[in-house]
Amino acid sequence: MLTSAQLHLARTFLVIFFRDRQSIAFSLFFPLIFMGAFVFSSGDNDPIKVGLINNSNSNLSKNFSELVSKDPLFDITEGDETVLRKELILGNQTAVVLIPQDFESKNESNELILLLDLSQVRQLASIRDAVDNSLLSIERELRDIEPMFSLTIEDVKARPQRYIDFLLPGLLAFMLMNLSIGGSGFNIVEYRRRGILKRLFVTPIKPKDFIISIVLARMIIVLMQISVILGLSILILDITIVGSLISLYGMVMLGTFIFLCIGFSLGSLAKTQEAIRPIVGLVTFPQLILSGVFFPISSMPELVQPFVSALPLSVVVTGLRDIANDGVSLFSLNSTSLGILIWMVLSFILATRFFVWKEVAK
Amino acid sequence: MSIVKASKLLKAYPLPENKNESFNAVDGINLEIRRGEIYGILGPNGAGKTTTLEMLEGLTDIDEGIALIDGIDVSKEPYKVKSIIGVQLQSNEYFDRINLAELLILFGKLYDQKDNSKALLSKVNLLDKASAKPDELSGGQKQRFSIACALVNSPKVLFLDEPTTGLDPQAKRNIWKLIHELKDSGMTIVLTTHNMEEAENLCDRIGIMDKGNLIAEDTPQALINKFAPDPPQAPLQGNIEDVFLSLTGNNLRD
Repeated sequence: MLTSAQLHLARTFLVIFFRDRQSIAFSLFFPLIFMGAFVFSSGDNDPIKVGLINNSNSNLSKNFSELVSKDPLFDITEGDETVLRKELILGNQTAVVLIPQDFESKNESNELILLLDLSQVRQLASIRDAVDNSLLSIERELRDIEPMFSLTIEDVKARPQRYIDFLLPGLLAFMLMNLSIGGSGFNIVEYRRRGILKRLFVTPIKPKDFIISIVLARMIIVLMQISVILGLSILILDITIVGSLISLYGMVMLGTFIFLCIGFSLGSLAKTQEAIRPIVGLVTFPQLILSGVFFPISSMPELVQPFVSALPLSVVVTGLRDIANDGVSLFSLNSTSLGILIWMVLSFILATRFFVWKEVAK
Repeated sequence: MSIVKASKLLKAYPLPENKNESFNAVDGINLEIRRGEIYGILGPNGAGKTTTLEMLEGLTDIDEGIALIDGIDVSKEPYKVKSIIGVQLQSNEYFDRINLAELLILFGKLYDQKDNSKALLSKVNLLDKASAKPDELSGGQKQRFSIACALVNSPKVLFLDEPTTGLDPQAKRNIWKLIHELKDSGMTIVLTTHNMEEAENLCDRIGIMDKGNLIAEDTPQALINKFAPDPPQAPLQGNIEDVFLSLTGNNLRD
């Protein structure tokens, strides 16, 4: 069981953390900013800004421009070619549709030109799809034919799922990664450099006691910080956690364990304070982008998906999302729990391997 | 009766310029330190003083030889040794945002001791600084505090690594007084120093180290008789430190 030395050391780490107002504020800053962005945005997609250049005088082109203006997907500005081209380059318009002079026949195929600034359009495919769809429905209307199919979308999981519901577990995972790696890796390098570790190890405490205390203190810190963000999300953003909170907190603790171990390894790898920052950045930053915090891993190229979903943050994000969004229990055996287990073992081995006790006290 | 006993203590480090070759930072030294004495290890930088202390303290692995503290083998039972010794290190930095009293309570807990922070602080004359942070202390106060930290477990042997380096004469003399009081309470004290005056006035016996070897060991007077056959004429009016002290007074300047 825990000794009073371990408990007191853990308590000291907590006191150090809670007296450091600045770092508390910073660790809450990032998730709060993201949540804030959602409070103030309506959640609906903004219409795509499209310029329309009508070089034709035909009735068809007039009809066309009326119909396309009604489409809620688009925010249409009709205007002069030179002006709209300039706006497109400036980024004021996402795309410009050019109706050529010979745009008049209802029976032949008419060519429309879509002007884009390819360097600025991230979702070319989805804009193209939107334009194509809109053209199709306009065509039906102009030719006066009923669409053959209609599509109603129904969620099989039958729950209100917004982007914020998807995002929150990702943010929580990212937060716990930062708190854990920062709390172990950075601290160890700093304590070593300043001779604090050496001072500790002239007393009869064992390296194990030191590690247990850090893990204990960080667990509590992470759980408290996560609770703040989770509580605010439930209160303000009306987030529903489908699974049980016990499972959610359990997953948070397992994730914290993984990232604490990774942090210990990195802290032992980096010999100096200057080295730890880029090393930690190298580990955390790509994971923020790749691990499905902001968008699902399934939207990435298929070739990279297996690698990306094996990243520790991906595993924790998926685990939290399974619990928060789909109500999966922590103890249900699936590929995610297997991933968590593998990373726990792996990171623990890494941490104990790299963490050279004698060197710590140098 | 020796309380610290080391025989053929050796520590090898790889050479900085050629990692494949090593040099002996401590080259098989023998030490016998008697219970209740103040033993000073003297030597130029890089002589192996700190490495010797760290091997005795269980902080650095002993490559060859045996070290016993109060009969306990340091290599075999480092934690048992650590619980009966007190160590003051050259660097004295502590956790941020934790005050002196809290640090002493913490160090006490690491030895399973109850809070005796008040007694310790008053012993080193820092009771009024109990709620100050270590980085708010002056050099002399820091040094006294780090001695207080080394005393939390009422150690049998106290190791001090250059306790007065960088201190002004007032603070230095204050530390000497403190060390004398500790000796009077029965503690054995092992210290390293560059300060010849400190070695001469404070220590019961001195060991002089150079290049990892103990090249001379005796009482200060015996060493002077042996190695300094031509003693310089004693100055009649004291030295410049006496001038400094008489002008600036003996009071501690923190």
